[in-house]
Amino acid sequence: MSQGPLSLPQGLLLVLVAWLGACRPAPVPSTPDDRIHIVATTAMIGDVARAIAGDRAEVRTLIGEGVDPHLYKPSATDVRLLKSADLILRNGLMLEGKMGEILEKIGRSGKPVHAVADGLGSYLLNEGPGHVDPHVWMDVTGWTRAAQSIADQLAALDPAHAADHGKRAASYLAELGKLDAYARASLASIPAPQRVLVTAHDAFGYMARAYGLEVRAIQGISTESEAGLKDIEDLVRFLVERKIPAVFVETSVSEKNIQALIEGARAAGHEVRVGGSLFSDAMGAAGTYEGTYVGMIDHNVTTITRALGGTAPQTGLNGQLK
Amino acid sequence: MTWTPDDTWIAATGALCALACSLPGCFLVLRKMSMMGDAISHAVLPGLAIAFLVTGDRASLPMFLGAAATGVLTAVFTQWITRFGNIDQGAAMGIVFTTLFALGLILIVQAADHVDLDPGCVLYGAIEFITFDTISLGPLEIPRAALVNGGALLLNLIVIAALYKELRLGSFDPGLADTLGFSSGLLHYLLMTLVAVTTVAAFESVGSIIVIAMMIVPPAAALLLTRRLLPMLLLSSAIAGGSAVLGHWAALVLPPMLGFERTNTSGMIAFTAGLLFTLAWIFSPTEGLLKRHTAASGPPGDPA
Repeated sequence: MSQGPLSLPQGLLLVLVAWLGACRPAPVPSTPDDRIHIVATTAMIGDVARAIAGDRAEVRTLIGEGVDPHLYKPSATDVRLLKSADLILRNGLMLEGKMGEILEKIGRSGKPVHAVADGLGSYLLNEGPGHVDPHVWMDVTGWTRAAQSIADQLAALDPAHAADHGKRAASYLAELGKLDAYARASLASIPAPQRVLVTAHDAFGYMARAYGLEVRAIQGISTESEAGLKDIEDLVRFLVERKIPAVFVETSVSEKNIQALIEGARAAGHEVRVGGSLFSDAMGAAGTYEGTYVGMIDHNVTTITRALGGTAPQTGLNGQLK
Repeated sequence: MTWTPDDTWIAATGALCALACSLPGCFLVLRKMSMMGDAISHAVLPGLAIAFLVTGDRASLPMFLGAAATGVLTAVFTQWITRFGNIDQGAAMGIVFTTLFALGLILIVQAADHVDLDPGCVLYGAIEFITFDTISLGPLEIPRAALVNGGALLLNLIVIAALYKELRLGSFDPGLADTLGFSSGLLHYLLMTLVAVTTVAAFESVGSIIVIAMMIVPPAAALLLTRRLLPMLLLSSAIAGGSAVLGHWAALVLPPMLGFERTNTSGMIAFTAGLLFTLAWIFSPTEGLLKRHTAASGPPGDPA
């Protein structure tokens, strides 16, 4: 600070700040227990960790519900969470942007930091040099592998309770198996020519590959990129030719481009409707069924299936959708 | 929430960055080019795209170099267009940054549409995270961001101190500066390059919000309080440094008081600067709200 031309007022401010800081009552430590403190970047990862660790861990997530990971801004609370965490779980594949590099650096300092999608190797969709599609959770089989890796991390970190973690992991993985079977059967019931998912941004590649959907997105992977006029025209022609009944909006991306598609198709005499809102980069509100990984995928699968003319119960796999 | 050593680093780095930005910011405000920081934040996009196309990687270093190069280009192009197009600086800035931003979008769509290249994702750092990225200097672990912004501040101090007279004249009377024999154009390029380097270095280490706010708000508040350059530079530095320290403190203390769960330090620093500006606007001795109010209602020969 000595370079500053005004070190006296600044010094006074620092003193003031220190004094005011000292006046704050010390925060009550959150239940001094032997639980593992896990910090997950996305809610999808946090949900899996919670399911597998059960009451052995306190799981906090950084990127809130309905927040596009690209738009996440850290807070002072987040820094304290990361500092006090026993295990940090992140997605990897650049989903966390620059924060990913920071988390890697924390990992090099000795704290376990695990990127759940990084170890998936040839499973991953390579989108050209320098880029891998990070939306692994969209395919339940891919996410099952990520969940398995989280279970391994927990077992290594908490060997005394490894058997409990194993039991919970087995039951959670079985639940994911049921979800996968449901997704497969539901989406396969859509008439083949209409098995096309048209969305705002390119987040559904893994889902498409796993369940035999064709995917068309207006913008690329980045939510910053803009849709060109020709992209929209081509998509409108495609919708009209294939008689696609519905297109989808995403909870964390603007729907104005999707509206342009609907208007365009209407002008060409084909009625397309919004088939519903899908969760892509973020889950539903915490505490709701859609705020869990299973609920999120159940919602997406059921919404897509019903809008495109397939058969799926309105209330979804577990009868919990509204 | 208690104040930890990390918080001291965050507040200190914020203050270094705020000072580094507010010094050249004073000259920008005087030259009616306040939005330069914002313009550069948009104009870096083609730099990121080209750096990605060349290296095939989104690591920080190539992204930083690409951004710094386009930042300097923005400053140079703006100056060219102002000179040769004979239009005002604000319009020239608008032409340059929109064109560069559009070029960046075209490059991304053509060559890298499947890659996430937003500045927010690959370039901007976060001031909260600086203590996770440290460099050991002897016994001390110093955040890299503190060194980067401290370096930028030092560079700004040296250039401004060395060329103080010239810069002052160039800011207030470029015509006279030219007749007196030093090129105001050359000075301007130098200043703009300084702005570009400071801006991009701060973007990379602490994020964009602080930079854009600190280049404009403290100098503008200082200008309400004085019309002389040296006091303006000093006042602006005090407001900038104060905003950073108070802003981070507020980011820690306010959320629990107001019942929010969390808040963002950069946002609170910019907000604090805005509050300080409001105070300056109300209490300014020459054009403050109070002064004008008392002048309007009081006797004409107001002793103040």
